[in-house]
Amino acid sequence: MTRWLIILLGGLSAVAVLSAELEQRLFVAFAMTKAQQASSLPTDSGVFLQGHEAGQWSRVGPVIQAMNSITADPSNPSTLYIACGNGIVRSKDGGDSWRMVTGWRESDFTKIAVDPVNGDNVYAASVWGLSVSRDGGESWNPSNLGLEEKYCRSVIIDERNPKRLLLGTGAGIYESRNQGRSWNPIRKSSRSNILRLSRSEADSDLWIAGTEGEGAFLSRNDGRTWNPVAVKLKDRNLYGVALHASDARRMALGGWESGVWVSEDGGEIWIDRGAGLPSPNVTAVTFDPNVPDRLWVSTFEEGTYYSDDNGKIWVDGNLYGAYVLDLDSIPINQ
Amino acid sequence: MSPDTALVRFHILTGLMCWGMACLGAFASPPPAAPMSDAEFARLYRERCEYLIDQTVASTDPDDLTKGSSFTIAANLHRRTNLEWASKRLRLANDPPSGAMFWMHPMVLLMETGKGVLSDDDWGFIRELWRTYFPYRGDTENHWVMYYVSLYLAAEMFPYAGPEAWYNGKSSQEIMADAKAFILDWMRITTSYGQGEYDSPNYIEEYTRPMALLVGWAQDPELRLKGKMMMDYILLDYAVENLEGLYGGAHSRLYPRYLLQPGMTQAAGHGWLLFNQGEYRSNGGTLMIALSGYTPPPILFRIATDRDKAYVHRELKRTRWRFRHAGPDAFEVDGKSTIPVYKYSYVHPDYILGSSQGGLLQPIQQQTWSLVWREKDLEGKTNTMFGLQPYSSPIEGTMYFPSDWDTVTDLIARSKVDYDSPDKLEGGSPYEQVFQHQSSLIALYDIPEGTRFPLISTLFSRDIKQRIEDHSGWIFGQGGPLYIAYRPFAPGEWKPVDWTGLLQGGAGGWFSTGFKELSEGSQCLVSRSLKNGYILQVAPISAFDSYTEFQDTIRSLPIDFSLEPTPSVQFTGLDGLVLTARYGSPPTVAGKPVDYSKWELFDGPFAQADRKSQTLEMIYGQQRYFLDFKNGSAKTSIVTEP
Repeated sequence: MTRWLIILLGGLSAVAVLSAELEQRLFVAFAMTKAQQASSLPTDSGVFLQGHEAGQWSRVGPVIQAMNSITADPSNPSTLYIACGNGIVRSKDGGDSWRMVTGWRESDFTKIAVDPVNGDNVYAASVWGLSVSRDGGESWNPSNLGLEEKYCRSVIIDERNPKRLLLGTGAGIYESRNQGRSWNPIRKSSRSNILRLSRSEADSDLWIAGTEGEGAFLSRNDGRTWNPVAVKLKDRNLYGVALHASDARRMALGGWESGVWVSEDGGEIWIDRGAGLPSPNVTAVTFDPNVPDRLWVSTFEEGTYYSDDNGKIWVDGNLYGAYVLDLDSIPINQ
Repeated sequence: MSPDTALVRFHILTGLMCWGMACLGAFASPPPAAPMSDAEFARLYRERCEYLIDQTVASTDPDDLTKGSSFTIAANLHRRTNLEWASKRLRLANDPPSGAMFWMHPMVLLMETGKGVLSDDDWGFIRELWRTYFPYRGDTENHWVMYYVSLYLAAEMFPYAGPEAWYNGKSSQEIMADAKAFILDWMRITTSYGQGEYDSPNYIEEYTRPMALLVGWAQDPELRLKGKMMMDYILLDYAVENLEGLYGGAHSRLYPRYLLQPGMTQAAGHGWLLFNQGEYRSNGGTLMIALSGYTPPPILFRIATDRDKAYVHRELKRTRWRFRHAGPDAFEVDGKSTIPVYKYSYVHPDYILGSSQGGLLQPIQQQTWSLVWREKDLEGKTNTMFGLQPYSSPIEGTMYFPSDWDTVTDLIARSKVDYDSPDKLEGGSPYEQVFQHQSSLIALYDIPEGTRFPLISTLFSRDIKQRIEDHSGWIFGQGGPLYIAYRPFAPGEWKPVDWTGLLQGGAGGWFSTGFKELSEGSQCLVSRSLKNGYILQVAPISAFDSYTEFQDTIRSLPIDFSLEPTPSVQFTGLDGLVLTARYGSPPTVAGKPVDYSKWELFDGPFAQADRKSQTLEMIYGQQRYFLDFKNGSAKTSIVTEP
């Protein structure tokens, strides 16, 4: 699979094709909570990569509770970062060995983004705010100037301009144009907590956000303005948002007591595709990086499912009993 | 003046006179015993320590490899007994390791007591555990303290080990620097703003355990000294609200079994070991203290056990860090939000009545106010009273836990099974406001429509005898050595404790074990009025000639309350002072508003500590014991003027 690399030339960005061949792999971060009784400890938890068969999952990273997400450095995919309750765990050898790169001041990370041009710049969202590393994860500092609420769950780097970041917070979506040094609201709302943010690979002006309490929003002008979509889900908590990698018209949403909804016309008409899933409580949604028309959803403790026909028929992808916290893909060396 | 009016005034006068004398302890206290010398105190304490270790070793069955915790192994290593069993049990108990910080700190105890005893093979096995097992750091204050103290001491044993030796890929030097920084910062925060997980009769041992490790085995002189000072600090916090081992007052966390039996808590175990209170009972905290060699300063013993006179003791604590829904009262410490907790305890020779201001102060297990009283035999005794609004909401869950809105309540209730139950006995509520002056307590409630459990509940335990529902609206009772008067503002109905049957049905395993026996015969007064409130007035039996006289006196106390538009009350307590409270407004005593802005970390006859001072002064007669965390010193002195 080909991937894109941004090269900065005199302040302007250009796009070039990276020659190295990488493989995109689906990952899932989960805790096995279904068997959790009389204890606050899940029976198992961690980050797992999908094998070459759908529903084959193998662990990556240490065995530890509260593993929330994994990210690879786009310019050096052997470097992996795991966002977890203990902090951030990093591997520089493709997962053979791991090191806790944060200290006691940092905790409860949810999502990490690595600068695609300069891998030294790493941005980590946590419930305590954003932490930034300028040395590839060796040291971290908080960077919350301008945020109304520090609580944040999502951070994304604008691949066309890596100085620009979007952050999903407890008080809306914020933008930084100076590598996270300061923040300005681009969609402020004290009512909505931004649960998920995603940007289209097919149309880089297209963004989608899932919220707690206000449904979903789309931006078609690179984040400048945001409009609600899927009116039937307007007051729902949406934990899953997905944009198709090559067809900007295709997208999906999933949420609590909402099942999964899909659109094939760029978000104008939404169709309920929850039938066939064992639970209406969906915690994650994504398109498969290797089978582009395959849609994955995770239900709360009732398993992870995939569909090759945009949600008409669902196939069991295992993980029964899991509470999936993230379902996405990362590039890894073949 | 009518004869009835004259009689009422007589009762008020005589009642108040007796009351005043009882407050001074004139009736309740036994004849003063000869003061124990410091040397005698230390000798008896050491004897209890040795007894506790002996009992732990005696519980070992060397032929049974399936039983025995790391604590038991450590006690045997300390005594050099059952060593073959210890070595084998070490392996079996850690195949595989589990429990995160609850694995780490007993393992460090085992390693420290095993120096010079464990074989090279044993050490190799232990080192491999630390290399491969990646413990979770947890999500509570006690978790972090146990985690970092354990990690520090483990690394200190192998100070030059490289990153390949540890699960987290850091060298021993890196681990020690990070862990020490946390430990010292936790002490700074606690001695500046108050403990977050404050005054828990259950979780006190989750703090004394790591402090015992520092006292006993830290080679770093600063950590060893400050560990000792922090142990003194935590035990003083218990000692000033201690009545024969009972931990009185408002609490951050308590489990249902211990709410009903305050004499059975982990704190009570500490009371036995440290202050010779109650019956022998052991727990991990006391064993670690006994093994560590820690000796409490004698002033602690005297503060914990001298109950000749009643006193008011105030404390300032704080809530656990909040990352969402912090609220208008929140302030930030180093970028993290919290709100102040104002604690007030009236410690009487016969009882402790204590409270916090109400509101959501701690997740799940808060006890906003409580009454405990002296009993001769604590076994099976439910010598307590408390009230609550059983609040359950994702707002509370997501305030403190990094979980999703839709799952957090369910996941909490997987381990704290009564959290989402209307009949629970613990928990804070944003719709509850409490105010106390000495032996009088006022609670007001303004519960919005649509609240999940729109009710309030007050425990009347089986050990409150001679309960009378009086025509005046007061409910009278007798709990041990005191009379109790409770005046609800709206009617309620009597329900058995656990009235939905949640815990009796076996929910939660260990959580509810024995709960039926503990709760049988106790009742809750449950009221479904959304605007509500009550007054609690207690007095020692010794202050009155009879139960009838107490009732007459209480009936005669002026009281005026209304529930609309917001609950409010004016009440003249037994001490003759007029108390007023209105939901949402500061309460007053004799016309003066209570000024919470002047609340200090510790403010009572036995302890003084100013906000942000990082100090604590313990006071007993002419004796002073001064802890200074900023400068790292602990000094004892004698003052000429008490």
